[in-house]
Amino acid sequence: MYAKRSRSQPQIILLKEGTDTSQGKPQLVSNINACMAVADVVRTTLGPRGMDKLIHDDKGNTTISNDGATIMKLLDIVHPASKILVDIAKSQDSEVGDGTTTVVLLAGEFLKEAKPFIEDGVHPQNIIRSYRTASYLAIEKIKELAVSIEGKSLEEKKSLLAKCAATTLSSKLIGGEKEFFATMVVDAVIAIGNDDRLNMIGIKKVPGGTMRDSFLVDGVAFKKTFSYAGFEQQPKKFVNPKILVLNIELELKSEKENAEIRLSDPLQYQSIVDAEWNIIYDKLDKCVKSGAKVVLSRLAIGDLATQYFADRDIFCAGRVTEEDLLRVAAATGGTVQTTVNNVIDERQVGNERFNIFSGCPSGRTATIVLRGGADQFIEEAERSLHDAIMIVRRALRSSTVVAGGGAIDMEISRYLRQHARTIAGKSQLFINSYAKALEVIPRQLCDNAGFDATDVLNKLRQKHALPSGEGAPYGVDINTGGIADSFANFVWEPAVVKINAINAATEAACLVLSVDETVKNPKSESAQGEAAASAMGGRGRGRGRGMRRR
Amino acid sequence: MALAFDEYGRPFIIIREQEQKTRLRGLDAQKANISSGKAVARILRTSLGPKGMDKMLQSPDGDVTITNDGATILEQMDVDNQIAKLMVELSRSQDYEIGDGTTGVVVMAGALLEQAEKLLERGIHPIRIAEGYEVASRIAFEHLERIAHKFEFGASDVEPLVQTCMTTLSSKIVNRCKRSLAEIAVKAVLAVADLERKDVNLDLIKVEGKVGGKLEDTELIYGIVVDKDMSHPQMPKQIEDARIAILTCPFEPPKPKTKHKVDIDTVEKFQTLRQQEQKYFDDMVQQCKDVGATLVICQWGFDDEANHLLMNRNLPAVRWVGGVELELIAIATGGRIVPRFQELTPEKLGKAGLVREKAFGTTKDRMIYIEHCANSRAVTIFIRGGNKMMIEETKRSIHDALCVARNLIRNNSIVYGGGSAEISCSIAVEAAADKYPGVEQYAIRAFADALDAIPMALAENSGLQPIETLSAVKSQQIKENNTCCGIDCNDVGTNDMREQNVFETLIGKQQQLLLATQVVKMILKIDDVISPSEY
Repeated sequence: MYAKRSRSQPQIILLKEGTDTSQGKPQLVSNINACMAVADVVRTTLGPRGMDKLIHDDKGNTTISNDGATIMKLLDIVHPASKILVDIAKSQDSEVGDGTTTVVLLAGEFLKEAKPFIEDGVHPQNIIRSYRTASYLAIEKIKELAVSIEGKSLEEKKSLLAKCAATTLSSKLIGGEKEFFATMVVDAVIAIGNDDRLNMIGIKKVPGGTMRDSFLVDGVAFKKTFSYAGFEQQPKKFVNPKILVLNIELELKSEKENAEIRLSDPLQYQSIVDAEWNIIYDKLDKCVKSGAKVVLSRLAIGDLATQYFADRDIFCAGRVTEEDLLRVAAATGGTVQTTVNNVIDERQVGNERFNIFSGCPSGRTATIVLRGGADQFIEEAERSLHDAIMIVRRALRSSTVVAGGGAIDMEISRYLRQHARTIAGKSQLFINSYAKALEVIPRQLCDNAGFDATDVLNKLRQKHALPSGEGAPYGVDINTGGIADSFANFVWEPAVVKINAINAATEAACLVLSVDETVKNPKSESAQGEAAASAMGGRGRGRGRGMRRR
Repeated sequence: MALAFDEYGRPFIIIREQEQKTRLRGLDAQKANISSGKAVARILRTSLGPKGMDKMLQSPDGDVTITNDGATILEQMDVDNQIAKLMVELSRSQDYEIGDGTTGVVVMAGALLEQAEKLLERGIHPIRIAEGYEVASRIAFEHLERIAHKFEFGASDVEPLVQTCMTTLSSKIVNRCKRSLAEIAVKAVLAVADLERKDVNLDLIKVEGKVGGKLEDTELIYGIVVDKDMSHPQMPKQIEDARIAILTCPFEPPKPKTKHKVDIDTVEKFQTLRQQEQKYFDDMVQQCKDVGATLVICQWGFDDEANHLLMNRNLPAVRWVGGVELELIAIATGGRIVPRFQELTPEKLGKAGLVREKAFGTTKDRMIYIEHCANSRAVTIFIRGGNKMMIEETKRSIHDALCVARNLIRNNSIVYGGGSAEISCSIAVEAAADKYPGVEQYAIRAFADALDAIPMALAENSGLQPIETLSAVKSQQIKENNTCCGIDCNDVGTNDMREQNVFETLIGKQQQLLLATQVVKMILKIDDVISPSEY
């Protein structure tokens, strides 16, 4: 960066050569443009008629996804301002699990609405302040509109939660079977109880079969582990067995790595051998004596042990992954050595054999076995289910829902517009544009479904403007291209998703708006930055702000 | 790939290395995806049906595979395109789940994509098409259930099973002895099936092949065949009422796993060590003898000294038998795998009626047959054939037949083959389409058209006039209200698949429809492809 003092004098160098810097209003506008470009990428994935993206990287991994956070992550965005959008998508994902596309879209739209004001010379801080007020008002309004599902019976609650899950799933690849999966997800979430133990829901993926062949195990299921000779001779079905969960190796091996034994008398040789055998036999004996009928271990169970157990009609599985083992322990209600009643069965799933533990007393865990036609399909199904699980958990905890299908967005938008009229000053304009930005959700829903967005939006505005307020739950009807009462049609979202999305999107928009200068240090490694550097060099240095906007 | 430009027309760098990435979006992406999906389907189309042709595939290392099995062809083709890979996985999942119909499912998906392309050109939203397909697939699914026949079979009456397996085998290269192979497959499955739990563990069926002889020599052995010979050439070649010791410990002095060293400083010590070693061998053999074993099968090897001792004591032995085989032997003979000589007891020995070593032809290849086992739940299908490729293809065909038999044991519903089920579904879907308002109607009708692709391909591959034959059969189905009319591929003279005994499993057919729809939906749903540009 060069600070120009006058024509004749040499420039004063403040920063390292190659440092990119840009500032001022154009910089702000350029950042907004970049963010809008990113929002455009995920735009088409919104809603039940949203499309998927196929992204494959140089390593040849392919992902087909509809999930905003996943797409944003895979795009590998380097633009500093746009990265904020990636971050809010991520945070929405980890906070509520769904609405990741919404949040990016909203942030993009807020920025887009702010752009003309910036170009017209409004100070960004003014806009930021108004946006913050607007978001505060919007959230209050959501809380006011939200319907609580607290105090309902479990059965009722279940069906309400299933509706929420179905709304989330409707935009995904598995949307065709949303009721099927929604019930499954709700059952799984209820099974693990109120604890914050998401890892107690295991998702196992088995290629083959159709989506409908997926099933929920009220307990734990894992793929048959690598087994040694003798495994097939073990009994495969138990009712009410005792289960032993171990974290030791049951294998004949040297006890200490570096130990060495010196023998002077060859006759003692046998005793050493015996001693070693005794160690392992001792262990095995203890396992058997504990009365366990099932032995699971995180580490290997060797062929010797397998045959030993087979001989005594005990089932064993070694190299069980830690998570599965944890789930088994949780399910059966013990930590290291456990006794409980449940049923264990080995079942054929696709061309894998699965060990299934079901009917565990303390319950607290569930496993979803996903089936599908292709690997990518199952991957995407898993992501979708993850979203649904998060939604159900969220809804279960916060217990309030709002109408989806763009209804809530329209209602807030109307409310903000109304509110704006009471404000004197510039702020009125900004809150109005904030309100307009919120309409992007129903508009995009229409666009993606191939409907006339203007037409539908006007109908919606009219409905929402009814003074009686009865039009509040009206949203886009994706099936007919008209409008419908989303609440009555069970298009529900947990309120927390919307609250979080509006919060995060506003924050991100404000953050981008508050930046007026970017200083970018040159890449230290040339390997990656080569392309960027050549682009930079080609543009020529010293053209004032010439090197910005990258 | 540039996402956005500033007012001077310069691109923003938003994505890492974005110049090197290409992006295809909107209708272009869908069109490109559909055409690559169709290309894969086109390759397999000629392999469909009894008159389908085989493909010859050469792997990078020069191995040649000749096959008719859809899943195998696609696997070996090593496709690079992402959408084509989806089709490969589609075929693979049909293979995993059902084991048969791997070609049909890809042809079906290809036909659906082709129809979708036409609809897209008319400007119908891809998701609407996918939704219509989904509705249609459910109609077809239910229709299949209606036209399916249940048939009863017992352990004694296996004819229906054999007939169904024959349908599967008829499209393979081995179709000249499909009858005997089908019988073998059915018998093998029944031998290992747990009819009450309706569970079949195909792991218990071992498929072995050996080059030489002819296909007709393929046999089913109620027992195990091990590609090994007796450890000593002078050992008896045939043992009746064998009592088998199954060992996973070597005939060697035991070695502690801990590092050890034996210090020998005197001649006496050396001699004791020597004697002790000999004693070990002696003891081991003696222990085997004591429990009454007449044959030793060992997972490990043993050196000449042990071999000699075993020979002297008249105890035949087989060495270096793999773990899986060992397990199968243990299951078949009802013995226990013994990890240590000290643990040998008479109860742990396996029993087999006959163990014999068989030499093949003029070669020195020998194999050991363990037959008349105490428990015949492990069986072996032993395939003979003129060359390696033939044997490999036979193995795959047998695998398909085994899967079909297994599926029938799980669910004994069948539909009639020869494209009759598809034609019938097509009629049903077509009829149902009119009841749906909206754009979906078009998609449902397109689904019906796509269903015709399979009988059409069958007719084409059989050298018949595809359109004429199809329309004739279709009208016959409607006129006679007979859902069993299909394509007469073998020129038998009747269209009635019931008379021709061409069956397929219901679940196989249903799975095909659902899987194909699922994958097509996935492909249609993609509107944006971002990839590194070298692809």
